[in-house]
Amino acid sequence: MMRLSGFSILALAMLFLLGPFFIIAAAGLSAGDLLVFPPQGLSLRWFVAILDIERFRVSFLLSMELAIISTGLSLLMGVPAAYALARYDVPFREAMRTIITSPVIVPAIIAGLALLRYAVIPLGLPVISALILGHTALVAPYAVRVVSVSLTHLRVDVEEAAILLGATRSGAFFRIVLPNIKNGMMAAFILGFITSFNQVPVSLFLTGPGISTLPIDMLGAMEFVYDPSIAALSTLLALMTILIVLLAERLLGLSRYV
Amino acid sequence: MSESQFLDLRDITIAYGAQKAVENVSLSVAQGQLLALLGPSGCGKTTLMRAIAGLLPLTQGSMTLAGRDLTRVPANRREIGLVFQSYALFPHLSVFDNVAFGLKLRHLDKTEIEERSKVAIAMVGLTGFEHRLPRELSGGQQQRVALARSIVVRPRLLLLDEPLSNLDARLRLDMRSQLHRLHHDLGITMIYVTHDQAEALALADRIVVMRSGKIIQTGTPEDLYERPQTGFVARFMGFENVLRVTSSGLVSDEGSLPFATQSLQNIHALAWRPHHVQLGQGPFKGRILGASYQGDSIEYLLDTPAGHLKVQSPAASPRYQPAQEIAFDLPLTHAISLRED
Amino acid sequence: MFADRRIGLMLMMPAMFFVGIAFLLPVLILLAEGLRTSEGWSLARYTSFFSDSLSQEVMLRTLRLGFGVTLASAIIGYGVALTIANASPLTRSRMTALFILPLMISPVARTYAWIVLLGRTGLINKVLIGIGLTEEPLRLLFSETAVFIGLLQLFLPLMVLSLTSALENMPSDIIPAARILGANWLTIFFRLILPLTREGLIIGGTLVFTGAVTAYITPAVLGGSKVLMLETLLYQRISVANDVATASVIAAILIGMSIVTHSLIRRLTSGKRSS
Ligand SMILES: Nc1ncnc2c1ncn2[C@@H]1O[C@H](COP(=O)(O)OP(=O)(O)OP(=O)(O)O)[C@@H](O)[C@H]1O
Ligand SMILES: [Mg+2]
Repeated sequence: MMRLSGFSILALAMLFLLGPFFIIAAAGLSAGDLLVFPPQGLSLRWFVAILDIERFRVSFLLSMELAIISTGLSLLMGVPAAYALARYDVPFREAMRTIITSPVIVPAIIAGLALLRYAVIPLGLPVISALILGHTALVAPYAVRVVSVSLTHLRVDVEEAAILLGATRSGAFFRIVLPNIKNGMMAAFILGFITSFNQVPVSLFLTGPGISTLPIDMLGAMEFVYDPSIAALSTLLALMTILIVLLAERLLGLSRYV
Repeated sequence: MSESQFLDLRDITIAYGAQKAVENVSLSVAQGQLLALLGPSGCGKTTLMRAIAGLLPLTQGSMTLAGRDLTRVPANRREIGLVFQSYALFPHLSVFDNVAFGLKLRHLDKTEIEERSKVAIAMVGLTGFEHRLPRELSGGQQQRVALARSIVVRPRLLLLDEPLSNLDARLRLDMRSQLHRLHHDLGITMIYVTHDQAEALALADRIVVMRSGKIIQTGTPEDLYERPQTGFVARFMGFENVLRVTSSGLVSDEGSLPFATQSLQNIHALAWRPHHVQLGQGPFKGRILGASYQGDSIEYLLDTPAGHLKVQSPAASPRYQPAQEIAFDLPLTHAISLRED
Repeated sequence: MFADRRIGLMLMMPAMFFVGIAFLLPVLILLAEGLRTSEGWSLARYTSFFSDSLSQEVMLRTLRLGFGVTLASAIIGYGVALTIANASPLTRSRMTALFILPLMISPVARTYAWIVLLGRTGLINKVLIGIGLTEEPLRLLFSETAVFIGLLQLFLPLMVLSLTSALENMPSDIIPAARILGANWLTIFFRLILPLTREGLIIGGTLVFTGAVTAYITPAVLGGSKVLMLETLLYQRISVANDVATASVIAAILIGMSIVTHSLIRRLTSGKRSS
């Protein structure tokens, strides 16, 4: 009895969380011109149509670039920081940790606005650079945290052993530490990529005519597009994410790092 | 450089913050010797090894290796090997690559690297395991990889930090004799850290006993075994019955035995090994608390006015039952005399 | 631990400077702007914000939605987490993965699904009309209910995940032991499960609460300009009136709430590590 009601709660929660995806997927598969569920006949025409829309192609590519560059940058800075926090007696350690994790605490929309007002407008910083700055800062705390997790799995004396065999500090880092945190770094890259790719609030103020990320474009299009194209696009994005996550879980055990 | 001072530590102190883990330690090791560093958990053995290897800075003191001051030489140039208590194998590298790591750093040519690694792996009996990862090996095998990895680069000094502590009793004995053979064959100077006195006695040319960060006695295995100087070392060496000498007799924290101590002036305490305590006759009375059968002997726990004593008698001798009142003797001829701890 | 502080400091510097200059500094300037008027430093912006009836309404709605979503997710979360925790290890890890998955999917896509469901010609209205509960389609979109549903869907997984991990850390024989002693389920829940998973509940709760009160996409899409929350109000003040002062006050409120909840989490998780 208890079991049964437990599983029905579980099933209902799953339906609530995942059901809507099936509904947009179905709506996106519609052969008709209107966004409705159940769909009017089945076809892939909207999935094909969406690929033809120049605007979405451009913003999709920008989102990709942005996610790759800012996650790469955040790892480039985050790995040394995580390493220092794990291995060195860093002065003002807690203050530093707080500063680096502050992008998690400050709501992203505020960062976007602040960057617009105090970097883009007065300094003439190109919007794309501001986007990269904002996204990199936003992803940095995740990079530091995920890499820290994998560093705790590597004992310090392993590095010391390398040093006693003649390696320098940096030699030990590149030959011993890096290969052992490679999976953690890939997990961090995937999580950072997804975070940046899906990010809306920080980009909100930093995009404008001619330069926009995919989620922002989708938000804009929702207001005047009533055909199933956005549903098809949403479905494609969801499928892409699911694929990446499943692959990462298989290869890296991604959920250990979340 | 005299041969008796290959490694020379002078008045070394090492502190973690305000807490001194090693205090005023002076020590020297001759070339080719195996020195055992013996002491209870937490006495500073690992700390001292890490400092010698260059992984910890000295708070005070100096050290030389082959006459050269080591203090300013960084750890990666000291040519001192350390086999860690935890093995510290490189998790992502195969047995072969673990062993070859140090050689590759020295930019030797490929055939020499291969040759020497193979020899070292064979020396520790792991031929055939070259392509395994550390996690695919047993504790004893990992241990041997760690050893091979350290000796393959021919360090001038090899430090072994309780290398056998994670192994079961049989494997320990086995590895102990392998180590003995390796030391003999290679002639590397070694410092061997342990808290097992049997291991120290079996392996070492010299033994240093530490307690709370200080050295309390140094000597050959015979010296320490026959002539421990303090109650602490005596207990470590199997003199389990230690009693203080006072004008009123022999005293422990629990009580005292009347004993003619006039002849024992300037002696702080006396100690007896369990098998030297005589049961069945003698001036003192005690009560058997328990008996445990050890095969060729029986060990009794004896309750006396001066607390509990450990007594061992041959299995062939008369048996005593728990709660039995019994006479016993502490023969002066078998006692060793001790100074204050 | 390596002793050389200079190297440690050097390794920290790129990330420190980057986040400090490219992120924190502009945010601090923005916050400062809310404290400045033409006559110098003052709290005037704050007093006028808090006395404005629209701001009050938005503040209250944001808090109401925040607490409502947190409460609902806690109730559903316990039901789900208790079921997951009782499952076999394999099922457990699969279920956990199923709850992590939606967190990774674009919140824009996740929110858009509700437009299809809740719109005038959406599934829900069709069903309601079909079974005769209503003649005219109901206005479900652009309501607080729609925002509530959207937020709950977005953040429920966070609660489920932290409750599941709290339940997994609970000694496994405690519930059968209590059952043997004759305790009923209510007693077991309030006397055993709730106190033992308190930390997980608070961590999950603060994550859900912060997520909900700082949400932008959900109120923007499902609430529109009628059902504003703090972030959509901020966006509106800037894009309609370029009212940086109000934006700065809202920013301070949001950051304040976020700091409080995050330090709560930090305190709880670091306490667990040291004990
Ligand atoms: N990193 C550290 N920071 C502070 N104190 C330490 C540190 N490492 C060790 N100590 C302290 O220094 C003392 C000596 O420790 P050490 O590890 O050298 O002991 P040990 O003789 O090797 O013990 P064991 O036989 O258990 O390995 C102990 O009291 C220990 O608590
Ligand atoms: Mg030790």
